[in-house]
Amino acid sequence: MIIEYTLLAIGLSIMIFGMLGVLRFPDVFSRLHASTKCDTGGAMSILIATALLIDTPFMIKVKILILTFFIVMLNPMISHAIARGAHKAGVKPEVEVDMYARDNP
Amino acid sequence: MSRVTFYLRERIEEIKSRYELERQESKKLPKEEKMILTWIIILIFWFIVSGEFYWQNMLVGGIVALIISSFMYENLTDDLRCRGSLVRKILFLSFIQIPQYIFIMIFQVVESNFRVAKHAIFLDIDPGIIRIETDLRSETGTTLLSNSITLTPGTLTIDVSKKLDKTYLYVHWIDVKTLNMKKAGDEIKGDVERWLKKIFW
Amino acid sequence: MVEENILVDPLGLAIIVLLLTSFILIYRVIAGPTLPDRIVGLNTITTKIVVVIALLSVLLKEYYLIDLAIVLLLVNAVGGLIFSKHFEKEGER
Repeated sequence: MIIEYTLLAIGLSIMIFGMLGVLRFPDVFSRLHASTKCDTGGAMSILIATALLIDTPFMIKVKILILTFFIVMLNPMISHAIARGAHKAGVKPEVEVDMYARDNP
Repeated sequence: MSRVTFYLRERIEEIKSRYELERQESKKLPKEEKMILTWIIILIFWFIVSGEFYWQNMLVGGIVALIISSFMYENLTDDLRCRGSLVRKILFLSFIQIPQYIFIMIFQVVESNFRVAKHAIFLDIDPGIIRIETDLRSETGTTLLSNSITLTPGTLTIDVSKKLDKTYLYVHWIDVKTLNMKKAGDEIKGDVERWLKKIFW
Repeated sequence: MVEENILVDPLGLAIIVLLLTSFILIYRVIAGPTLPDRIVGLNTITTKIVVVIALLSVLLKEYYLIDLAIVLLLVNAVGGLIFSKHFEKEGER
């Protein structure tokens, strides 16, 4: 009982910090950091807490775990695609070294 | 004199990497094993999503999974390393290697979440885009490595480029410590690459 | 069959917090300086909505909603890929 509620609280606080990061970071790539990591971790811990907490048939719990697996596999892929597209579209990243722009002029 | 030996060493390295590539091309899995692996994966997914276990359901799922795996067998299991028999490989994958990967990744995800929370509060970021090199050559292995890099603390993969049978990853690092390619690669990849090299090319 | 007040449950509180965070994130969608910023905000909101749908299906005991959450997640992935291809060609506008 204690483990599930701890996981739920950790997930919710991670979601709130991810929102703060998306609002405060200066450019697209840093925002993608906040969005991807905090969304994946928060959704993972909230859904695992839910699957442990409820009393339902076994297949429903497995389905919720499959949803978690999909979130973990698909979220980094979308962030990768958006970062590449944004860099190729000409968004200037606020960085100190930019080897990608040097190698692909 | 020294320049000549340096040149020779470079040539030998190049020939070694070519030899590895040729061996990879020649030692892929046979076609039936690829089909059986794809069929098992699709069937497990069908059972979980449908969620019912009477026999008509299982029959229809088996037939449709067989039809799909007969022409999609190259996409999922083309890059597996050929080692041992099929049953041994399935047992190794499902009981040793996938729990190992999950155990590695859980700590990384937790640490990365707390690092992002710290950066979001104090805004002490120092970003940069750097280039690292990996030993993995296959498509599936590179995809899994870049997904894992995105989930480890402080890094985000931007692009992959393959030049002269070497794979380079461009990584957005939120506080840059070194620009050296080897040191940065060791810092970023960590244990994940050593794990992935056991399974994929 | 719905209980009297599902929002008193801890999972209901989780739903309220998630909806509040996604409501604040609409600021990033409206006021993002470039198009990729807006797409980042939309993706974040959609992932939160997927979690909300899964929690609702557990709370209301209507388990077919989990399939709907999986489909929404896949549509989100395909949409992100299409948008990234779009502004890779056309530039950010």
